[in-house]
Amino acid sequence: MKLSWKPFVLSLAVLLILFPFAYLVLLSLASDWRFPDLFPSYIGLKNWSKILSSETGLLTSFASSLLISLSVAIVSTVSGFLISRAVFYHPKKNTLTLLAYFPYILAPVVFAACLSFFFLKMGLFGNVMGVIIAQFIIAFPYALLFFSSFWNKKVKSYEDLVATLGGNRWQTYIKVLFPLAKGLLLICFFQTFLISWFEYGLTSIIGIGKVQTLTIKVFLFIKEANYYYGALSCCLLIFPPIVLLYFNKRYVFKKLA
Amino acid sequence: MKNRTNNFIISLFIAIGVIPFAAAFVYALLYSFGIIGIANDGFTTAFWSAVWSSGTFFQSFLYSFSIALVSITLSVGGALWATLKFRKQLEQKFLSFILYLPLAVPGIVTGFFTFQLFSKSGFFSRIGYQMGWISQPSQFPDLVNDVFAFGIVLSFVTMIMPFFLLLFLNVYKNERVEELSVLAQALGANAKQVTQRIFLPILIKKTWVIIVLYFIFLLGAYEVPLILGQESPQMLSVLIIQEIKQYDLDRISEGYVIAVMYTLIVSVAAILLFLPRRKPAYET
Repeated sequence: MKLSWKPFVLSLAVLLILFPFAYLVLLSLASDWRFPDLFPSYIGLKNWSKILSSETGLLTSFASSLLISLSVAIVSTVSGFLISRAVFYHPKKNTLTLLAYFPYILAPVVFAACLSFFFLKMGLFGNVMGVIIAQFIIAFPYALLFFSSFWNKKVKSYEDLVATLGGNRWQTYIKVLFPLAKGLLLICFFQTFLISWFEYGLTSIIGIGKVQTLTIKVFLFIKEANYYYGALSCCLLIFPPIVLLYFNKRYVFKKLA
Repeated sequence: MKNRTNNFIISLFIAIGVIPFAAAFVYALLYSFGIIGIANDGFTTAFWSAVWSSGTFFQSFLYSFSIALVSITLSVGGALWATLKFRKQLEQKFLSFILYLPLAVPGIVTGFFTFQLFSKSGFFSRIGYQMGWISQPSQFPDLVNDVFAFGIVLSFVTMIMPFFLLLFLNVYKNERVEELSVLAQALGANAKQVTQRIFLPILIKKTWVIIVLYFIFLLGAYEVPLILGQESPQMLSVLIIQEIKQYDLDRISEGYVIAVMYTLIVSVAAILLFLPRRKPAYET
């Protein structure tokens, strides 16, 4: 009987995918885990209990990350959807789309470094509003380009039909366009949330260390060689996207399929 | 009325999507020629000459280009192989969810995790010690902050290969590659011919723009090389930020020279990728 190698490779792949999550949780529960120990001498909730204390500032960072990401995701998705309609029905659609690709393709950290002068002049340097606006500038082109496939002939004919039947612009959006684009709007919301949630370089430049999101915290802990708190911050950074991915996959992708 | 509303929305698009990019580019350009900037006193090409003659930019560009190319080749190659070999198994509910998990890990966490595993006192070094292969951390090979960028490439591959695998699985399904393959086999094609004439051409043709886009993203990656890169040469974004944040004021202008050159390269890439729009094969 010939043994198949596929189950072995697949099991290995699953272990390799799950290993980082298990390792980071273990590191966040550990202390005094030094070379050459293969396992930590202490495993417990000591580090996690400190989340609630103001000493680490992790809870504040979590809250400010959440506030920034939700704001960026909501504003980018809504504005991206509404503005993309005008862009993709425009006679110069190709040129406008190309212009949207420039900020999308440029490294956010370089973009932020070149924009920082303007943020400083406008009083948006080192505060949450500045970080939200800067992240919105990079998330908006993504949202706009994301909806490019939505505005096709079929949707245009639905819009024309509503107009023929006497519906106004407001009714077109509420009764036709939003219900049609519901799944895409949700995915775009998740994606722009993740763009903001994962952002480090741009936030460090515009926030100048005063706006301490979770990614900034992770890097601070790495620089301090405090790997246990670093791992803890990583866990806080990873788990919300996993929950989002789960809902994304379970409810949104299924409906789209 | 309708036209006025549309023009207003297009103006809004220009204000959000175009003006910040243009302003950032013009600012960097003026700074690089000494027209603006604290220590600068008028137009000069000295900073451009300095960057040109030092070769820092070209060294960094070549380094970033090589890392991005190796990472993208390994990721796309690995994802294509996995699609070819494990497509049916990967459609199972559990595995299809597991495949999404790496997408929830940001670059900074991947960099941190790779450092934890492959540094001189990291997890694999400890295993080496327990197995008796090394007797002290310094004997463990340089796998992070190393000259061959092993850590950076590994991080990039683990970050983007799952994405490409999901993308290829999706394209395989949507483009009905399965049906085409069965048809080809019925007409006498063997497995190798099906792979070379149907599977690879369809998947690559449908995804090449995304592959090039990811290559450009990797070229400008920041967090991973910041944690796992070496002192010199550095990847482009790390080099630019390091120069711009210098206390030596002349070096700031040189940093903007590199930023302008990098922006020009990615802008040309964007134009080449997205301007020559061919007519779609069918109307949507």
